[in-house]
Amino acid sequence: MRFDLDLPAWKWPFYVMRHPFEGYDDLRWKKGYNMKVAWVIVAAFFIISVASAQFTGFLFNDTYVKVFNIVPYFSSSVILFLTWVIGNWSLCTLFDGEGTMKNIFCVSAYALLPYLFSELIVIIASNFLLRTEGGFISFFRYLGIVWSVVLMISAMKTVHQYSIPKTLAAMFFTVVAMAIILFLAVLLLTLFQQVFVFGYSVYTELMYRFSI
Amino acid sequence: MSILKKLAAAALAAVVSLTALSVASSADEPYTGYNYDWWGDPIPSQNGFVVDRVIDGSDMGLDKLDYSDKSSSMQEQLKNLAEPSDIFIDQKFGKFYVIDSKNNRLIITDENFSPENTKVVEELKYGQVFPESQSTIKKTTFKNPQGVYVRTNTDGLTLIYVADYDNNRVVAFNEDLEIAMEYVRPSSDVFDADKTFNPKKVIVDSAFNVYVIVPSITQGSVQFSADGMFNGYYGANRVEATAEVIAQQFWKLIYTREQIIAMRRSVAISISNLDIDDEGFIYTVTENKTADTDVLKKLNPAGTNIFINLGYSDYTYGDYATRYYKGTNYASAITDVDVDSEGNIYLLDFATGRVFQYTDECDLLFIFGTKGFKNSQGTQKGTFRSVAAVETYNGKVYVVDNIKNSITVFRQTEFGSIVQKAIKLFNEGLYDEAKAPWEEVLRRDANYWLAYIGLGNAYLNQNDYATALSYFYRTSRSGYNRAFKSFRIEFIRANFTWMLIIVLVIVVGLIILSYVKKNIRKKKKAAAEGGTE
Repeated sequence: MRFDLDLPAWKWPFYVMRHPFEGYDDLRWKKGYNMKVAWVIVAAFFIISVASAQFTGFLFNDTYVKVFNIVPYFSSSVILFLTWVIGNWSLCTLFDGEGTMKNIFCVSAYALLPYLFSELIVIIASNFLLRTEGGFISFFRYLGIVWSVVLMISAMKTVHQYSIPKTLAAMFFTVVAMAIILFLAVLLLTLFQQVFVFGYSVYTELMYRFSI
Repeated sequence: MSILKKLAAAALAAVVSLTALSVASSADEPYTGYNYDWWGDPIPSQNGFVVDRVIDGSDMGLDKLDYSDKSSSMQEQLKNLAEPSDIFIDQKFGKFYVIDSKNNRLIITDENFSPENTKVVEELKYGQVFPESQSTIKKTTFKNPQGVYVRTNTDGLTLIYVADYDNNRVVAFNEDLEIAMEYVRPSSDVFDADKTFNPKKVIVDSAFNVYVIVPSITQGSVQFSADGMFNGYYGANRVEATAEVIAQQFWKLIYTREQIIAMRRSVAISISNLDIDDEGFIYTVTENKTADTDVLKKLNPAGTNIFINLGYSDYTYGDYATRYYKGTNYASAITDVDVDSEGNIYLLDFATGRVFQYTDECDLLFIFGTKGFKNSQGTQKGTFRSVAAVETYNGKVYVVDNIKNSITVFRQTEFGSIVQKAIKLFNEGLYDEAKAPWEEVLRRDANYWLAYIGLGNAYLNQNDYATALSYFYRTSRSGYNRAFKSFRIEFIRANFTWMLIIVLVIVVGLIILSYVKKNIRKKKKAAAEGGTE
C-alpha cells in the first residue's frame, strides 16, 4: 500500500485499472471515491454501447439499424449498472459488507473502465480489419471483459472487506438479486400501467358524461 | 353550358379510364413478388414469373379418348387428370411425362400439351429386353405410380423409369413400352426387414444408376446399379441438433448399456425428393416444417453436401420465418426441387404453394405462385391447393397441383429475363458486360439486392474499390471483405509516407514529453528538498 499517493479524483479509475490487486486498497485508504467521476464513467458506458451498435464496421456489425431505439441500449447499460449497485448494496448490507451505496457505485463504475477501453478499440479497429483478422477483435473484446471482471472482484472484495470466496458468492447472489429486482420492477410497471389505464378510462367516461 | 358539359364529360371519362386501369392492374397476378433484404425482412419486388396458362386434362384431349372398356365410375375420372403427382420434361426432345397417379397411368405429351401428340400409357409388356421372369404374364399395369424419370444414353436408347408405389417396384421401360428392368425390394441383409418398399420418386444418373426415394427409409435414397443390384444408400440427412438430441447425448454418458438401448433413437428426417443436374450433382430436399438442417443439399458423387459453409453465407431456403396468418402457421416445407440448364435451382414449397428460384450459388432470385386461401380454394389462375412437383423447360416453369388436377405454366417476365441475362454474363466472368443489365434491373427495382452485388463485382473487377464498397455495403459481406482488402492495400500504398510521418511525430513527441516531465519532477523534488532544509 502506498501511503504517499495523492491523486486528483479523475486519476483514480486509471490508477485502479493499472493496479488491479492493491489499487482498490489505496483507493479505500485515500477515500478516492468521487460520484462525479463515477457518473461520467457510467455515461461513457451508455455512449459506448450505442456507439458499438452504430459505428462498428460493416464486416463485424450485426445490429438491426433499420429501426433505432435508444431505450434498449439505455436499459442494458445504465439501468443494468444501477440494478447491480442496488442489488449488491441490499445483499451485502445484510452480510457484514462495509461498503455504502456511494462506495459501491464508485468502485463498480471504476471497474468498468477496461471494458470501455476495449470496446473503443474494437469499434475503431473493426473499421480497418478484414473478416480473417477478426481474431484481434475478439481478443480485445475478451481481454476487456476479463480485466473488468477481475477489477470488479477486487473492488467488491475491498469495499466490503470480504474474503475471496465470500466475494464470489456475494457477486453470484447479486446477480440473482438483480434478476429479482428486474422481475419486480417489470411486475410493478405492468400493474401501474393497468391502474393508469383504469384511471384514464374512468376519466374519459366522466368527461363524456359531463360533455353531454 | 356546353363547355361545362364537355368538362364534365372529360372528368367522367378520366374517372372511368382510371378505374379501368386500376381494375386491370389488380387482376394481374394473385401474388405479389417479394424478396428478402440484408436483414431477412421480406420486401416487395417485381415478379420474375407470371402465370402463362393452366393445363388440365381437356387441354391434352384426355376427355376425347375412348374409355368404353372401363367401368362407368372410372370413366368420368379418366377424362381429367386425377391427383397427378409428378412431371418430368426431357430437355433434349421436349417430351413431357406426367404421372396421373389415381388413374394409374403415365401421360406423354409435348410442350404445348397438344391432343394429337398426347399418348397415354397404362399397360406395359414383358417383351424382348426383360423376358426371363414372369414368362406366363405378358402384361402389367401401374398401381398408384408416384414418380417418373427419363434417361437417354449415348446410343439413343431412351428408358422411362416409373416409381410404381403400390406395386413396390420401380419399372424401367423403353418407348415401345417393353419392360427393360424392374427394381424391387432388395433381399440383401443391408435392407431393413421391417421397412416396406414403396418407391415415391426416382432419378437416374448418367451411368444408369437408379436412386429411389422410399418414404419409410431415413438413411437416404435407395441406390441400384443399372442391372438391378442394391448398392446401398445415398444422400442421408444429418440428425438435427435439437434440445432433445443434445440431452440424449448427455444421458448417454451416464446411462448403462441396457438403458441406452432402451432409449428413443433419434434418426434423421428422410429426404423427400431428388433431382440431378447436367454435371451429375444430385440435389435432395427435405419436406419438414420444423427442420432447418439439410433442407436442400447438393451432393457430389461421393455423397458430400457442397452447400455447406461456403464463404460466410448461411444458406436459407424457402421463407425465412414462420408466419401466422388467419389461424394458420405457415412455414416452408420444400417438397420438390428442380435444376434447369442454367443451373438455377427451383424449390417448391408445399405449405405456401410458392416456387423459390435460386442461382446456382443459392442466392434468392424470385418467389412466385401462391396457395389459394380458404375462400377461393385455389380456383384463381396461379393459385394452388396442393402442389406436388415442379419442372422447367425453355425458361418456363411447370407446377403440378394434385388437388386442382392441373399443371400451371409460368413464363418469365421481362424483368426476370434481364436478371437472368445479367447472371449468365456474370457467371461467365463477363463482369463489365453484366453491368448494363444490372443497372437496368436497379432502374426497375431499386430493392433488388443481387443487382448491387453484381455491380459491386463489376466495379471490383475494374479496380474501382471505393464504388465496389458502396455497392457491397449491406448486400454482401464476402464481397465487401474482398473489396475492402484491396481498398486497404491501395490506401496504405498511397498514403504510406504521411502515415509514417504521423507515427514518427507521435513517437518523438512522446519521448520528448516524458523527458520534460522527468525534468520537471526532478526540479520539484529538488525545490522541496531545498525548502525543508
